[in-house]
Amino acid sequence: MNDSWPVVLEDVSYSIGAAQLVRAVSMNFAANRMNVILGPNGAGKSTLMRIAAGRLAPTSGRVTYGDDNVRAIEPRVLALRRAFLSQHVEIDFAITVEEVVLMGRYPHFSGTPSAHDREVVHDALRLVGMTSRRRQAYPTLSGGEQQKVQLARVLAQIWREEDKPTPRILFLDEPTASLDIHYQLHILDIARSFLQRNCTIVMTLHDLNLAAEYGDRFFLMHQGMLVHVAEGRGNLARDTLEQVFDVRTRMLADDRGNLAFRFFL
Amino acid sequence: MKNTALTDTLRPALLGLLLALGVVAATRAGPAPTDRVVCVSKQINEFIYELGAESHLVARDLTSIYPSQIQNLPSVGYHRALSAEGIISMRPTVVLTDGNVGPDPVLAQIRSVGIPVETLEPGATPEAAEQLMLQLGSYFHREQAAEAIVARWKSQLAQVGHYDGAGRPRVLFVHFGQIGNSYLGLTRGGPADRILEWAGGVNALDEVGGMAHLTPEIIARAAPDIIIATDAGFDRYGSAEKFRELPGVALTPAGKSLRIHRIFETEIMYFGPRTPASIEKIAAWLHPHG
Amino acid sequence: MLTRLSRAQVYLLLLLCLAVALVASSAIGAFAFSPARMLRFVEEGLGLAPAQAADTLDRNVFLTLRLPRVVLCGFTGAALGVSGTLMQGLFRNPIVEPGLAGTSAGAALGAALLFVFGHSALSYTAPLGTAALPLVAFLGAFAATMLVYRLSTLFGRTDVLTLLLAGIAVNAVCNAGTGLLSFLARDPQARNITFWNLGTFTTANWHGSLLVGVVFLFCYALISRHGKVLNALMLGEDDAAFLGIDPERVVFRLLLVNTLMVAVATSMVGVIAFVGLVVPHVLRLLKSSDYTFLIPAAALFGATLMELVDVVARLIIRPAELPIGIITAIVGAPIFLWILLSQRRVRT
Repeated sequence: MNDSWPVVLEDVSYSIGAAQLVRAVSMNFAANRMNVILGPNGAGKSTLMRIAAGRLAPTSGRVTYGDDNVRAIEPRVLALRRAFLSQHVEIDFAITVEEVVLMGRYPHFSGTPSAHDREVVHDALRLVGMTSRRRQAYPTLSGGEQQKVQLARVLAQIWREEDKPTPRILFLDEPTASLDIHYQLHILDIARSFLQRNCTIVMTLHDLNLAAEYGDRFFLMHQGMLVHVAEGRGNLARDTLEQVFDVRTRMLADDRGNLAFRFFL
Repeated sequence: MKNTALTDTLRPALLGLLLALGVVAATRAGPAPTDRVVCVSKQINEFIYELGAESHLVARDLTSIYPSQIQNLPSVGYHRALSAEGIISMRPTVVLTDGNVGPDPVLAQIRSVGIPVETLEPGATPEAAEQLMLQLGSYFHREQAAEAIVARWKSQLAQVGHYDGAGRPRVLFVHFGQIGNSYLGLTRGGPADRILEWAGGVNALDEVGGMAHLTPEIIARAAPDIIIATDAGFDRYGSAEKFRELPGVALTPAGKSLRIHRIFETEIMYFGPRTPASIEKIAAWLHPHG
Repeated sequence: MLTRLSRAQVYLLLLLCLAVALVASSAIGAFAFSPARMLRFVEEGLGLAPAQAADTLDRNVFLTLRLPRVVLCGFTGAALGVSGTLMQGLFRNPIVEPGLAGTSAGAALGAALLFVFGHSALSYTAPLGTAALPLVAFLGAFAATMLVYRLSTLFGRTDVLTLLLAGIAVNAVCNAGTGLLSFLARDPQARNITFWNLGTFTTANWHGSLLVGVVFLFCYALISRHGKVLNALMLGEDDAAFLGIDPERVVFRLLLVNTLMVAVATSMVGVIAFVGLVVPHVLRLLKSSDYTFLIPAAALFGATLMELVDVVARLIIRPAELPIGIITAIVGAPIFLWILLSQRRVRT
């Protein structure tokens, strides 16, 4: 198994009818790093994430996790190796926070959950700071709280198992969209803490400053194609960024000397 | 609206008959085989009362409402939505039907607990109705009463006679179907059509057999001179004036001249002792001047 | 979540209610039986005790009419309760029930076809005997449900809104077909269709009751293993897929099982609306929307509710009976509106 490149996309294309959403993309996501996919609306980020997570079959090309083609891995086994957090999950039924987080453990047990599964749910809830809400109905939470619960669910899914410390992959698809800044930072901090648990994170984010703050490796997409790869935010090419997003940029220094983007039309 | 003249003349005769039958019944040894009867046919129920055998009846169906005393008996429900258990709970020794019952398994269920079911299909001719009366007469051991009723009814039918004058008005029978919640017309070939013919009318519908759905256009095209509506349908409007609100009726000669009459369903839907009276009643509507 | 009772306590409570309902339903009606007599009749029926001649009629009524009716009623209620729960899970909407996805209407159309053309097609259906009605009902229900399913997956993926709209359209077509048939039908057949559409347990016999029972138990065994899958589907199909579930395949298979369960029960008793809606709704309020809890609970509560409704149907105009569907609609329609309004309140 290739430890440094746990997820490899080779020449992946995806089209629906005449529309080519992803065009011949090859990428390697770095192990135990925050891999961030950037690009304007319609660049094909979400589609690419779903292909990489094994939900969509590419029209051509292939995705491998280690030595395995992702489409050949049995769904339940795949669910033990990667988790996926969507932008926003709405539930119409009165189900408790605890029951939602327990869903993350479904791939791990059949029948009733073990004591260990219960423990993981408890730990995941504590990690996102929602322990006190565990018996509350999910639909009654605010948007930010709901997203924290969903994060706890996907983290419970790929929680480190002491007996099988296999590498795992966490996909985050715009995890902070339409959340208050406090929730945005909180969620990204928690996610990043999983890098220390033999986790690889693949994330899309439309806030370029936030992406630059948290990302380790950057993939810039435009019209279904991969146009730029950068290791570390210092290597993000400003001219490509300006071209792809169709803006002009300026760099600002904060009071501690850290640089941030400012955008103009 | 009721033809009281006829029933008044019949009453003394009936009373005498009942007395005679009472003597016959009293002399019979042992319990009769037909001790407790549940009958779910309005025609058969009317005939049983006519025979004076109603003391055997313990329950009826929802539509058996003639004679009015029968309404004192418990109803086991609509004759096409019966419940075997409800019928059996009346602990009948026999269940009488005319074959028009439902749901399908109900008769088999009643038989399965050891209660016999007798189906007497009355047919749609006066002769078949006579046969039914005689059959019931022998069933209840009231043969003489049955024969007397049939003889009287035949002679009354002969007296009433058949209309042979000229000018037969067009008549539309309107019946309200409570199941489909819709107005139906009685077509040619049934008892009502035959009664109408004797009374000197002609059916305004050309179709043969059963009931036809009525639409405003069908009513208008039928152009009846007279409309005869059965009780349930007529009573939804309450009066002849109001009945003109049934779409299509106002366009017909009957609607314009207000020749709209109410009749009990049980007076025209089958042949029986009241048939001569029904003919007279309808003839009076059709030919008021002779 | 009105109660702090544990799951086991709720099951125990539901079991107790079911036991009471079963005894009441066995005992009450046009005939009334004391518990001691019922026990004696069962013993006599099983040949464990010598039959007493004086009670022949009562024993026959109890053993050949009442008991199969109680059994049919219980299994039908359980089937409708589980089906409503299952479909609400598959459609991710608490107002769905078998009536909404074309299943009941399709079954009714199949049955109406048999009622009207059964006599002319006697040569084909005669060899099937009593199996003809459940079979045509299943075919009708399956055709309607599959049509709904195909329409809603026209573009490759199951879309709930399209599914609901397709359900409305297919229901309309089926109801129109049934209406046309009852219009074309001669009088007695038309009345068969009408009464079948309102539902009744009066025609119960051991053969039919056991058929519904066996089919229900088979389907229940398959469905009850999918509680976690239905929970995961609450998240949406994509997120369920990331939990290791194949949503498209599982929705298809469960709809198939559901159709079988509903069509066989419907063919025996007619269309009974709203039970599939009310049962899961009450249980959600009582405890939780967790399907691993709801599915067994819906079987117990569905059976209980159906027995109680049937007792009412038998008592209200004794010795005649009311059609079941009338009572369930009177009770169910206001609850349906209540759910709809409270859903709106949550949204606004």
